Amino acid sequence: MHDDIEKLKEENARLQKIIVVKSDLISITAHQLRTSLSAVKWILKMFADKDFGDINNEQKEYINKALTSSERMIAVVSNLLALNHADEPVVILEPEEVDIKMLIEDTVVEFYGETHKKNIVIEFQEPTCDIPTIQCDKDMIRVVLESIIENAIKYSNPKDKILITLRMNTENNTIIICIHDNGIGIKEEDKKHIFSKFFRAENAKKEGVTGSGLGLFITQNILQQHGGSISLESTENNGTTFFVTLPIS
Amino acid sequence: MKKILIIEDDLFLQGLEASKLTKSGYEIITAKDGTEAMEKIQEPGIDLVLLDLILPDFNGFEIMKKIRETESVKNIPILVFSNLSEEKDVEQAKALGSIDFMVKSNFTLDELVMHIETALKK
Repeated sequence: MHDDIEKLKEENARLQKIIVVKSDLISITAHQLRTSLSAVKWILKMFADKDFGDINNEQKEYINKALTSSERMIAVVSNLLALNHADEPVVILEPEEVDIKMLIEDTVVEFYGETHKKNIVIEFQEPTCDIPTIQCDKDMIRVVLESIIENAIKYSNPKDKILITLRMNTENNTIIICIHDNGIGIKEEDKKHIFSKFFRAENAKKEGVTGSGLGLFITQNILQQHGGSISLESTENNGTTFFVTLPIS
Repeated sequence: MKKILIIEDDLFLQGLEASKLTKSGYEIITAKDGTEAMEKIQEPGIDLVLLDLILPDFNGFEIMKKIRETESVKNIPILVFSNLSEEKDVEQAKALGSIDFMVKSNFTLDELVMHIETALKK
């Protein structure tokens, strides 16, 4: 009994050290990302303001899109830092009226490169009813979708299909987004840890897929801040379905 | 013409900041680390210091302390321009007398110019 307690203490101390190292690594990386993103943002703004000479309307449109994209990345890095440092994670939300169907379609398009490389198809099924707009932070919900879709691609086998559906639950006035893959799945004993900070399942590590163990942790926090939730169904080697629920108002 | 000392170790960012501020009508001198900064700050007529916090030799807080302890330059306003953003960093900079704290990635260079203009009017 005494030996077991000592072993647990040692293991606990080892895990605490790992958490501190990972946390420091995230801080350093985030700082470097911010420095590079600052340069990108400043230069794009200078182009948009014609500091380097005249630009045509098409060039201006693309430069402004790139500028928006850089600002989105900066927001993601800032939230990553906030989540990394806070004991009680807080995401600063900027809610707006969002067409969630369009947001899913836009997000899926972003993954064309990755899906093409693995010959994976992402199918977004047309909802069977009209989905109303919802009040949410568009950039943050995009982060949620990106995180789950990215995982689905990473842990799917080549030529697999990822299925996304969107429906409404009129009973509790919510929308539900389901993202289903046929990948490696999650072991029963790992399910309760899957949303924990820095947790990475053994079967995921064995696949040689890199990850920080922060994606689903951040995802859950963003959804909770919105009054929403995330849950999953999964069988090892037989795929995973994530259910994202968001309140309509 | 107002004179600004930029203390920034990332030479690419330093170049962008210097270029924007020169175009906005300021005279610019630059330093890439704390040692060079403490030499350059002795130049006469510096109206404002634009200070990064992470530098290769001394950190920005140590530089602020040194400036405040040097009689000839102790009253030069210091505007912190860094990618650190934790509350403790902001508080420490304030305690050492910075007039403003800007997180680089949250601002454009036009906004930096506006903050500098406001700081120099005070």
